[in-house]
Amino acid sequence: MQGYVLAGLVLGSIYAISALGLVLTYSSSRVINFAHGATAYTVAVFFHWLNQVQGWSIPASAAVSLLVFSPLLGLALWGILFRHLTHSPPDVRFLATVGLWVALPAGVQLAFPFSQGQILQSQGFARVPVAIYHLDWLGVSINANQVAVLIGGAVVVVGLSALLRATPVGLATRATVDSPRTAEISGINTTMVSAGSWIVGTALAGLAGILLAPILGLSNGEFTLLLVASFAAAVVGRLTSLPLTFLGAMVIGLIQGIAVDYLPSHGVLSTGFRPSVPFIVMLGCLLLYPGLRRERFEVDRRAGARAREVPPPPPLRGWRAAIGPLAVAVALFSVPLWLSTFWVGVVSQGAALAILFLTFTIVTGEGGMLSLCQATLAGVGALTTASLATHSPIFGWLVPNPFSSATGWPIGLAVLAGALVAVPIGLLVASLSLRLGDVYLALATLAFALLIEQLVFARPEFDNFGAGISLGRPIFLGINFSDPATFFVLLAAIFCVLAVLTVNLRRATTGLVLASMRSSEQAAATIGVRIVRSKLLTFGVSSFIAGLGGALFAITIGRASPDSFEVLIGIVWLAIVASFGTRSVLAALIAGILFAVVPQLFSEHLPTSWAMVPTLLFGLGAIRLAINPRGSLFDIQHSVRVLRLRRARRSPTLEGQAPA
Amino acid sequence: MTEPLLDARGIAVSFGGVDALAGVDLTVAATSIVGLVGPNGAGKTTLFGVLSGLLSPRRGRVELAGVDVTGATPQRRARLGLARTFQRLELFDELTVRDHLVVARRIREGRDRTLLRDLAGLGRRPSPGERDAVDALLDLLDLGDVANQPVPLVPLGTGRIVELARALATEPRVVLLDEPTSGLDVHETERVAAALRAARADRGVAFVLVEHDVELVLELCDDVTVLDFGRVIAHGPPAEIRASAEVQAAYLGTASSASTAETPR
Repeated sequence: MQGYVLAGLVLGSIYAISALGLVLTYSSSRVINFAHGATAYTVAVFFHWLNQVQGWSIPASAAVSLLVFSPLLGLALWGILFRHLTHSPPDVRFLATVGLWVALPAGVQLAFPFSQGQILQSQGFARVPVAIYHLDWLGVSINANQVAVLIGGAVVVVGLSALLRATPVGLATRATVDSPRTAEISGINTTMVSAGSWIVGTALAGLAGILLAPILGLSNGEFTLLLVASFAAAVVGRLTSLPLTFLGAMVIGLIQGIAVDYLPSHGVLSTGFRPSVPFIVMLGCLLLYPGLRRERFEVDRRAGARAREVPPPPPLRGWRAAIGPLAVAVALFSVPLWLSTFWVGVVSQGAALAILFLTFTIVTGEGGMLSLCQATLAGVGALTTASLATHSPIFGWLVPNPFSSATGWPIGLAVLAGALVAVPIGLLVASLSLRLGDVYLALATLAFALLIEQLVFARPEFDNFGAGISLGRPIFLGINFSDPATFFVLLAAIFCVLAVLTVNLRRATTGLVLASMRSSEQAAATIGVRIVRSKLLTFGVSSFIAGLGGALFAITIGRASPDSFEVLIGIVWLAIVASFGTRSVLAALIAGILFAVVPQLFSEHLPTSWAMVPTLLFGLGAIRLAINPRGSLFDIQHSVRVLRLRRARRSPTLEGQAPA
Repeated sequence: MTEPLLDARGIAVSFGGVDALAGVDLTVAATSIVGLVGPNGAGKTTLFGVLSGLLSPRRGRVELAGVDVTGATPQRRARLGLARTFQRLELFDELTVRDHLVVARRIREGRDRTLLRDLAGLGRRPSPGERDAVDALLDLLDLGDVANQPVPLVPLGTGRIVELARALATEPRVVLLDEPTSGLDVHETERVAAALRAARADRGVAFVLVEHDVELVLELCDDVTVLDFGRVIAHGPPAEIRASAEVQAAYLGTASSASTAETPR
């Protein structure tokens, strides 16, 4: 028992160090850093490189990593990105940090190729073999790495409290946190405070990363756990209170540590409980803190999204409006004519992903909601479809097969069922977290995604030792879709239908209602919009599309595997869609096809060490939103329309056009 | 006297230790204009928040057309015939002026619950009578010229009239107007006042008007309530209010009230 308490304290200390960094940066700049785990990972890899690859001593590596590298990294990220985000609208703040979350590990793995594989035996602050001390009076053994964690935690908490409570810098920081504007007009340089907090915050993330590496291993995937646990702790502190955050981190760590004593030694719960603690804690906070339910932090009006944003010139009308979409459709359907069978297969994957990506167009683009669980919903759709189509059990329960076919449900029906199953699950997570503000919704969906990944997707019947469930292609209406070209045409047709439906929705009353909610929920409510109902409806539709897209993607690659729908893959998807624009169905198509084609091109024509370059580019694309919030596609369309308008103005017949 | 359209009794709201409202009553009869005046920090905007359902009161009761709506959502109140405007413009930045009226009207008609119809592409068609009704409202408030402009392009004064138009498009029985002329110049103020008169004459809607322009309030209103530090200090027809010593003290300060004249914020 004492051993588990110790393990809990150790985990709690690491979460606390990381979460304090998160709260510090959030409260000084109002940007939640979704790349916090990625930052921790970056510093941990750098430390590993200095120590293991360059052969530096542990103290020297630690000093350089934490006192030189981390502050420089923090300063650079602040200067390039976070500084600009303070005055951006919430969705841009969110998507740009998601972009960083994608780009940073990819960049690290390019710069330090040794980190491309998972490093299980990672170096911590203690020399290997790690010394173990037996504390007989407590009845526990503690190893040197755990001692380092506890010391590190204590130093950070005491140091940070002393810094904030007893120094002029701390006073300036606290003033800035309470009211940036008042602090500014009292002569405090809030820019310096904000930069300083990012430097300290990054160093804290780095410290947490180095401490965590020997416990979890050094892999980008494992570090999402650190991120989510830190988020949960920060939510306990309402993203502002350092003592409450510390308490939250300790509680999460202790629950995770002590629970090991009571959990079964094998089965899903033994591995799945730990990641679910942050989600449960977040949910508890939601129920306990009614204050979280309303958006507390308003958009800074100084940013003046209103003032700066130039509305687009009016779109084309009549037959001209049909030219663009028709051209895209013709290009899409003619793909099998000018590409080899292999590449048709690759583009098919892209088309299936494009269908899936429409879920982001609906939920984020139209609904204005920040969700990180769309990939998980796609996985739900894919696994349900595969289980039904192959007549395999779901949670040990065999769904009856009322159909005459020997293998299982007909695949078309199985796909439909998969998409439908995703809907109630999406609605469940949405209804639990919708009343929270934008950012809390993102946090809750992230925690939920991780929960499903660990508790459901990890089950042997779905995971099947990483192989997933294999899936055949459908035959219906007498057409055999095993032929790649035929199947591609099917996917393209489904995409076109869904794209038209999406555009219909946008232009109809529903679109007007959603647009009004995106601009002002208050005003929308006072003209009678049922906010929660509209959001749930949107989330439900997006869940259906996610499930459908996931199922179709699984059929395209021939198997439904949880690997294809990991949280980390989901954020790359979100980043690439966002970089082209979440408001456009064409952006979803381009994003889907590029996501499939670009890595394939890289692997064919460039050395394998370049494999992370596409991911890096996708992440950087989303980061660019900080400058260009509506995505690059909007930019292009906008400039084309402005050009057209200028040309039109030169001709005397069209006078009195609204200036652009 | 007939039953009041909007009736608030004993409304109390506190933020932390500050009593923003301490037992305020407000009654609005059908088709009347009620002025709500008072210095900064008197609790006018807070009262609007309670009336429209964006804030819940600590004590008190709000009735709308005889229905107790104290705990009701803003949406439900809107459907019962309450609309409002905001002191700080809350327009829908992605929509044109015309679309503001269209969306408000369609929600009134229950057309926000037609997902399948919308997916099928039928949701773009205007409902019967919609075009005429929206055009009539645009004409009434003199917004015809800017009807197809996106709202970020219209000036502040026009923006306030768009908010009024959006409120009227929900076919309300009572509209709460939160400082419709603040930040406007003389001409814009006159435009807003004209729009208000036109709306009352044409639609028979009751208004509650929070306004710092006392002359405008006294000219337009049938009935005036004066708030100070979260309490009603005077209530009556404009002529009576104009003469009231207490109101003058609250606004201008006198020897007796000098000690408390420092209003919070």
